[in-house]
Amino acid sequence: MMKTYERATLKEYGYRDYSVLNKVYKVFSIVAVILIVVGLYLSIIMLAIQSVNSSSSVTTFGSFTLKWYAEMFSVRSLKNAISNTIVTSIIATILATMLGTLIAVGIYSFEKKKRQTIMLFNNIPLLNADIVTGISLMLVFSLLLPIFPYIFGPTTLIMAHLFFTLPYVILSVIPKLKETDPNLMDAALDLGVKPFKALTKVIVPAITAGIFSGMLLAFTMSIDDFVISYYTTGNGFDNLSIWIYGSMGRKSLTPSVYAFSTILTLVTMVTMVLYQWFQRKGKKAHVKR
Amino acid sequence: MNKGFKIFAKPYIIWLAVLAILPMFVMLFLAFMYSEGLSFEEAYVTLFQFQMLLEPSIYTAFFNSFLYASLTTVISLVLGYFVAYNVHKSRFKNKFLILTILILPMWSNLLLRIEALGNLMEPNNIITNWLGISSDIALKGTMPAVIIGLVLTYMPFMILSVYTALEKIDISLEEAALDLGLTPMQKFWKVIFPLSLKGVATGSILVFLPSMSGFAIPEFLGSGNILLIGNIIEAAFRNMDYNLGSLLSVILLIVILGALIIVSKVDKEGETLL
Repeated sequence: MMKTYERATLKEYGYRDYSVLNKVYKVFSIVAVILIVVGLYLSIIMLAIQSVNSSSSVTTFGSFTLKWYAEMFSVRSLKNAISNTIVTSIIATILATMLGTLIAVGIYSFEKKKRQTIMLFNNIPLLNADIVTGISLMLVFSLLLPIFPYIFGPTTLIMAHLFFTLPYVILSVIPKLKETDPNLMDAALDLGVKPFKALTKVIVPAITAGIFSGMLLAFTMSIDDFVISYYTTGNGFDNLSIWIYGSMGRKSLTPSVYAFSTILTLVTMVTMVLYQWFQRKGKKAHVKR
Repeated sequence: MNKGFKIFAKPYIIWLAVLAILPMFVMLFLAFMYSEGLSFEEAYVTLFQFQMLLEPSIYTAFFNSFLYASLTTVISLVLGYFVAYNVHKSRFKNKFLILTILILPMWSNLLLRIEALGNLMEPNNIITNWLGISSDIALKGTMPAVIIGLVLTYMPFMILSVYTALEKIDISLEEAALDLGLTPMQKFWKVIFPLSLKGVATGSILVFLPSMSGFAIPEFLGSGNILLIGNIIEAAFRNMDYNLGSLLSVILLIVILGALIIVSKVDKEGETLL
C-alpha cells in the first residue's frame, strides 16, 4: 500500500520568498535614483527661481517677473562676455571637431603599440588638473611674448580651448573607427578613389556618430570652462566664467546672468527633445519602408 | 587604415610636446629658482620653496585636498554606481538621452551653479523665505558644504564611466550566473562588479583629480574657511610667486601622472574615459 506523503512546500526546498523585499527594494531604488538626479539639477532649479525673482537679493523672493530676461543684454560687460564665450566656444569646437577627426584617423593608422603611446599623451590634457593645464599654457604663451607681444587674448583663449577639447573628439572618434570594416578603405581605393576622397566619402560617413558626440562633448567642455580660460585670456577679453568670477568677488552679480543661464538650459533641453523626436520619427519611417 | 594618414597625427604629437610636456619642464625649472615672475635677470637657484612645504598652511591644504577628494570619490562612487546600475538594469537603451540628462547641467556655468548651491546653503534662502519658515542650519563655509558641492558637480563623470563599463558586459554572463545558482546579490558581487572595475577606476580618477585640484568650489562654498591646494596655487600665481606655484603644481602633476599610468594600465586606449 502506498503511503501518501504531504506535498513538500517551496520552503522545504530551501526557497525563500523575497518578492516583497524585492518590491520594496525596487521602489526604493527608483525613488533614490530620482532623488540623486534631482540633486544634480538642484543648482539649475535654483538658478531658474532666481531668474524670475523680482528682488535682486538672492535671499528673498519678491514676486514673479521676467524683467531680468528683458534686461539681459543691457549690461554691456555681460553682453560682451556672452558673445565672447559663444564665439570662442564655437570656433574652438569647429576646429577641434575637424582637426580631431583627422588626428584620430592619423593615430588609428599607427601600429597598436605606437597608438597606445600616443593615446597616453593624448590623455594628459584630459586628466591634468585644470589649474595645472591653465598655468602650463600660460607659461608657454608667456615664453612667446617676446616674439608676439599681444598674443594674450582671443588667440590664446581659442588655442587653450582647442588644447583641452581635441582629446575629447579623438577619444570619441577612435572607438567608431575600430568598429568600421577594415576592408572599406581598401575597397574604396581598389575602386579608384583617391585616399583623401575615400576618407571623406567612405570613412567619415561611417564614423559620424563618434564625430557628433565628440563635438557635443567639446562644446560642453569649452562653454563651461573657467580655470583654463582664466589663465590664458588677456586683459579685457573676458568670457562668461571670468566675468562671473569677477562679479562674484565684488558681490555684484546681476540676475540677468541667471536669466541667460536658464535660457541656455531651456534651449538645450528643447533641442535635445526635438532631436530625439526626429530621430524616432526617422527610425519609424525607415521601418515602414 | 591607410598608412599615409599617419601624417595627420604627426603635427598633433608636436602640439602635445610643446603645450603639454614642455611646460612640465618649465615648472620643474621654476621650482628650483628664485625669480621675479618670469624675468630671470636676478634669478638664482634655491631650495627655498621646499622649505615652504613645511608651512602648516601648505601641508594642511595638501592633507585637506586628499581628504576632501577621497571622500568625494567614495560618495560619488556609491551614489553614482547605484544610479548607473539601476539605469543599466532598467534596459533603458537610449544612451543618448542618458548622456544628455547627465551633461545638461554642465551647460550652465559651473560658477553660477556653485553660487546657486551656496545660496541654498545659507540659513536664510529663497526657499525658506518662500515657504515662510526659518532655519538655523548654516551649511555654507563648512566641510559638508564643500563635499556636497564637489559630489554634485563631479558625480556625472562617475555615472557615465560606470554606465559605459556596465553596458559592455555580455548579458549572457548574468544569465549564466543565475543559472548556476548564484543569488542576485552574489551575481552582483562576483560577476558584475569585477567586470565593471575598469569604469570604476576611470570614474574615480575623473572625480578625484578635479575635486583635489579645483579652487572655485572650496573658495565659494567654504567661504574662505577652507583652503585646498588649488587655492594655494592660485594665490601663489596671483601674487606673482611663480616659484612656489610651480613647485606645488609639480607635486600635483606627480599625482596626476600616477593616475595617468593607472588609466593606461586598466584601459589601454582610453575607452572608458568617455
